[in-house]
Amino acid sequence: MTVTEAPRDAALEAAAAPSPSAPPTGLAAVVGSGDPRTIGKLFVGTSLLFLIASAVVGSLVGIEQYDTAGTEIFGADTTLRMFTLQATGLLFLGVLPLLVGLATAIVPLQVGAATVAFPRASAAAYWVWLVSSGLVLASYAIDGGPFGTEPEAVSLYIAGLIAVLVALAVATVSVVTTVATLRAPGMSLRRTPLFSWSMLVGGSVWLLTLPVLAGVLLVTYLDLRYGEQFLGGSGGVWNRVAWTLWQPTLYVVAVPALGIIADIVPVFARRRHQRHRSAMFLIGLAAALGFGAWAQLGATIDGSDAPAVWINEAPWQAVGFLAVVPVLGLLGLWTGTLGRGKVKLGTPLILAGMGGLLVFLGVAAGAATVIGELDLSGTTWMTGQTTLVLLGTLVVALGGVAFWAPKLYGKLLPDVLSRLGGTLVFLGALVAGIALAVAGALSQSRLVTGGATAVDSGDLDTVETLNLVSGIGLGVAALGLVVAALAMAKRRSGDGPGDDPWDGHTLEWATSSPPAVGHFATLPAITSEAPVYDARHAAAASKTEASA
Amino acid sequence: MATTAVTTDLEVFSEAPPAPPARPRVLLIGTALAAGSASMVIFALIGLYAKMRHDVLADGEVWMPEEGNVQLTPGSMAMVTLLLSLLTVAWIVQALRNDDRGHALMAFGVTLLLGAAYINGAAYGWQQLGLGVTSSPQALLIYTITGLHVAMVGIGLLFLAVMGFRAVGGQLTGRAAEGVSAAALYWFVTVGVYATVWYTITITK
Repeated sequence: MTVTEAPRDAALEAAAAPSPSAPPTGLAAVVGSGDPRTIGKLFVGTSLLFLIASAVVGSLVGIEQYDTAGTEIFGADTTLRMFTLQATGLLFLGVLPLLVGLATAIVPLQVGAATVAFPRASAAAYWVWLVSSGLVLASYAIDGGPFGTEPEAVSLYIAGLIAVLVALAVATVSVVTTVATLRAPGMSLRRTPLFSWSMLVGGSVWLLTLPVLAGVLLVTYLDLRYGEQFLGGSGGVWNRVAWTLWQPTLYVVAVPALGIIADIVPVFARRRHQRHRSAMFLIGLAAALGFGAWAQLGATIDGSDAPAVWINEAPWQAVGFLAVVPVLGLLGLWTGTLGRGKVKLGTPLILAGMGGLLVFLGVAAGAATVIGELDLSGTTWMTGQTTLVLLGTLVVALGGVAFWAPKLYGKLLPDVLSRLGGTLVFLGALVAGIALAVAGALSQSRLVTGGATAVDSGDLDTVETLNLVSGIGLGVAALGLVVAALAMAKRRSGDGPGDDPWDGHTLEWATSSPPAVGHFATLPAITSEAPVYDARHAAAASKTEASA
Repeated sequence: MATTAVTTDLEVFSEAPPAPPARPRVLLIGTALAAGSASMVIFALIGLYAKMRHDVLADGEVWMPEEGNVQLTPGSMAMVTLLLSLLTVAWIVQALRNDDRGHALMAFGVTLLLGAAYINGAAYGWQQLGLGVTSSPQALLIYTITGLHVAMVGIGLLFLAVMGFRAVGGQLTGRAAEGVSAAALYWFVTVGVYATVWYTITITK
């Protein structure tokens, strides 16, 4: 276990030591790399591909539901499976690994560490995640996944998803440990950059949540393959997974997005983050409220329809309302920071703003969900809410990639392509999320096949049109993701962006772009949460004094 | 001559750079997170077990199948065994801190023995249970929960053995000592998790 440690001294020594053989290049350098930047880029790039596929599938499902009576593209059973594929892909193959990848690359830089706490574990996590994601997709190809008719293939889906969860948990342990133990001298927890803080608190809650799903899936696997299928067999698998896409668990996925926005806003406001400690508290509160493993569908001993555990009960309702508080509080702080600063309208800020708006709409929709009189629980209102929160998080993450591109790729991303990609994802998510939510308000059930049975006949045409609109929205989002991927692949030509193209505030901007092995030759004195901002202002002040 | 030599040594030390700051407890914190995460797998299944048992009892039915026989003695003996192992693990850590390899080796041996005894006890409990693994949902849950815990104990024994042998083998550096502390922490969590398993399955059945 100790061989996976690589504190700063060890990494610097390793970099300085003569290499007995030539360092690997090409594919060997990628496959064998324990460099957090390489692992992070692999996570980001691969998850983006899965996200494109997921959005395309979601688009086709929406278009399929244009005619709720007939089936044109997939067929009834396959539509249901494709719905689960889209949701699984969006969360476990897309948004979560994207955030983990970004954190793996950026968090060590932010806290002044030479690398992540367990670089080899992070690398192993990526490859396990990649192979397991392939297994999950392969299971769908052979008639598996939830609602699949081939038991072996359904089992493959469960086994693959368990491995995905283990991989994500291992990568998260590495990131959280980095923040907890490898912060530079002088960087107390209160001075931790907000993205790193959000990974510390959000990642900790992920580590309490992902294993719950893994455990439940394990017993579902055993029950499906060898038992009496008291957990509902193939059709019951989705009931074991779906709670991760609902509030409150849904919110903890968005916690790192809050941290990304909180790091971008002050840089583009050209002033310190207003009330940094309050922001830390609010992000921590959002993470605490996002622990939702207690709110999932129950199971019965005879395999009959399982009642929900605590869903629609008082704690669930309380969390639905309370979750608005940290998001609103943070919005207030960001508005104050921007209002008092000299705003520079860069691509990262625009994307962070659009993503933040989607997350806020999603959280607000969640507050409406818990109002029993509205009767929205169990309808596509919740699917719309999921779309808003997850795609909002995705847009913020794209903003984060644009922001930290100099550290990730050594180049800035092309502004036009980045903005276009993010804007398309934003618009697509907004349209799809609202269309699904309105269809839910018209009583369309959350599961696609037969979902329209509760809809009034007079509203059926409207619901079908809304389904089509949601499909088109997700199609636009898929297009936006393609454009965003192109932006990352193309990057900006010409000389490098310099070490600090945005006039950043936190430690990652005190090193080269891209960072060298070991990240930092020397570190500035850390006396606040914005050491680079401090150093810049101190230098400017002394320059003014000297000239006076 | 001797005085001169001592003076020279002191001069050397006075010119030496200051000691590096204490190494961050990376492995200890990483282990704590991993152990907490692993515990949640079992806690999730215990939650499922407790919820289903509660629902069945609320319907006025009997939870455990007629042929099922969760014996109190093997489960409680396993609990006692693991509680004893807490002492021996603390003994390992203390002995290594005192650079007392003889006691550390003895404590390792006893801990490994207690771990093996626990696994033996769990196997005996399965044998006495009287239910096939897939004969009922209750059996499936019991075997999955206890099986996962045996796996957790196995990993703990492996972890302790690797870190312990490294430490006893002479690598009594700060990092190796931290490794043993990390393994001990994992073991403590494992025992804590078993206390929950024992109460849920052995005591309340």
